[in-house]
Amino acid sequence: MSSAVLHLDEVSKTFALAKGRELTAVDKVSFEVERNSIVVLLGPSGCGKSTVLRMIAGLETPTGGAITLGETPVTGPGRDRGMVFQAYTSFDWLSVRRNVEFGMKINGVPAAERRERAEHFIRLVGLSKFLDAYPSQLSGGMRQRVAIARTLANGPELLLMDEPFGALDAETRWQMQELMIDVAEQAQTGMIIVTHDIEEAIFLADKIVFLSAHPGRVKEEIIPAFKSGGRIRSKEELVQTPGYAELERKIMRLMREEGQHE
Amino acid sequence: MRHPSPHKPRFLEVRRPVSRRQAVLSAIAIWVLFFGIWLIASESGMVNPLLVPSPVQVFETTWNLFVDRGFIGDIGISVWRVVLAFAMASALSVPLGVMMGTFPAIEAIFAPFVSAWRYLPAPSFIPILLMWFGTGEAPKLALLFLGVVFFLITLVMDHTKTVRKELIETALTLGANRKVTVLNVVLPAVLPEIVTAMRQMLAMTWTYLVIAEIVASTTGIGAMMMRARRFLKTDEILSGIIVIGALGLLFDLLFKAAHRWLFPYLQEKR
Repeated sequence: MSSAVLHLDEVSKTFALAKGRELTAVDKVSFEVERNSIVVLLGPSGCGKSTVLRMIAGLETPTGGAITLGETPVTGPGRDRGMVFQAYTSFDWLSVRRNVEFGMKINGVPAAERRERAEHFIRLVGLSKFLDAYPSQLSGGMRQRVAIARTLANGPELLLMDEPFGALDAETRWQMQELMIDVAEQAQTGMIIVTHDIEEAIFLADKIVFLSAHPGRVKEEIIPAFKSGGRIRSKEELVQTPGYAELERKIMRLMREEGQHE
Repeated sequence: MRHPSPHKPRFLEVRRPVSRRQAVLSAIAIWVLFFGIWLIASESGMVNPLLVPSPVQVFETTWNLFVDRGFIGDIGISVWRVVLAFAMASALSVPLGVMMGTFPAIEAIFAPFVSAWRYLPAPSFIPILLMWFGTGEAPKLALLFLGVVFFLITLVMDHTKTVRKELIETALTLGANRKVTVLNVVLPAVLPEIVTAMRQMLAMTWTYLVIAEIVASTTGIGAMMMRARRFLKTDEILSGIIVIGALGLLFDLLFKAAHRWLFPYLQEKR
C-alpha cells in the first residue's frame, strides 16, 4: 500500500472543436501525490497544466483515464479538494472571518468550532489584525491569504492552487511562497500547485511534474534531490544551496526544447 | 502668456475632477439660470401668462393644492400604485432573473419569451387592459407591471451572468451544492447590481404611472393634471410636473441610501 493520496492514471482531455475536429489538450497523464507532499505542475503555456488541475478539482471531466483520491474515484468537485485561483475569489460581502468560516458553515461545522478554526488559520496566514476587515480593504497578497486560509480551514485532503501568486508583485510573491512552506508543515495538507515560474517550482516542490505542450504529456518527473528530502524555508537559502543552479538550468533546457517544437 | 502654468488649471481640463465647492456652485447656477429665464419671460409679458405662468405663481398654486385641495391624497394614490406594481414586478423579476443568469436551461426557456415582450410598448396594452379589468386599480397596476417587468428580468439576468466563474467554482470546491451556490454566493455577489437595476427601473415605473393616470384614471397626480387642463390651469399642470419630478428624485435618493446601508463593504474601497 503506497502512501499516495491521489492517483492519476492515464488521464486525458479532448475538446471537441467545430466541424467534428478534436483537440487533445491532455494526453495520458499519470502521476501520484504522496501524503502531505507538495507537487508542482510545471510546463510551458499550452501544456494543459491548468486543465489537469481542474480535472483533479472535479471542475472538468476527463475524457479518458481515472483520477482517484484515496480509494474513491473523482467524479465532481468536493470539499476534500479545495482550490485557490489566480483571480481573487474573496467573497466581498463577508468579513475576513466570515470568508474563512464559509466552507465550514455550509458543511455544518458548529459555530464555536468554526470560529476557533477560522481564527487559527487566519493567524497562520498572518491576518489576525484583519479579522473583521472586508476584502475590499485588503491588498492583493492579503486577499490570496484569505483564500488560502478559507480553503485550509475547510479541512481538505488536498489544496489545489492554479498560479496563485501570478497576479502579485515580486516581493509579495516570495513572501507568499515562503508562507506556503510554513503552511504545508502546519496544516498537514498535500498541495498541487500549477505554475510556469521555474524558481517558484523548485522552491516549493517535493516533486515537479514537468509537462510538455501540444498535447500535454508528462515529460519528466523531477525530485529536487539537492534539498535532501527536506524543505528550504527562504528564497535566499534556496539560491545558495548547491544543486539549485544545476536544476534550474536543466528545467530551463526542458522549457526551451518545448519552445522549439512550435 | 501662451502656456498657462501647471499650477493654475484652466476651467476646462480633460477628466480633471472638480472640487466639492465648484460642484455645488455649478449645480446651483444652472437652476438659478433656469428659473431666472422662466421668471423674466413670464413677468415681462414675452409669453402668454395663461400658457406659461410665472414660477412664483406655480409655487403658490402648489402650496394651495397641498393645503386646501387635498393634493396629498392624489399623491398618496400615485405613490401607492408605483410602489405596489414595482414590488410585484420585483418579486417576479429578481428570482427569475437570477435563475436565468445562473442556469442556462432556465434561460433557454424564458429568454426567447421575455425578449419578445420587451419590444412591445406597454401602453399598447391599455385598451385591452381596460376591457379585461374595467376601470379600477387593476388595469393601472397591470400597465405599470408590464412596462417594467420584462426589462427588470433581463437586467437581473445580465448582471447575474457577470458573477465571476471563479467565485462559483470556489464555492463548489468548498463543498457547496447548487442551492448553497445560488443563495450564498451568486445572489449576494449580484445583489448590489440588482438594487441599482431596481433603482433605474423605478424611474421607468413613474413614466408608466403618468401614462396610466392620464389615459384612464380619475385619481392620482396624472388625473389631477388632466382635470387642470380642462380648466386651463397651466399652473396646476406645472405643479403636477414638479411634484412628480420631486417624488422621482426622492425615491432615487432613498434607493441610493438603501444601497449604502445594505452594502457597506462597497464604500470602503482603498
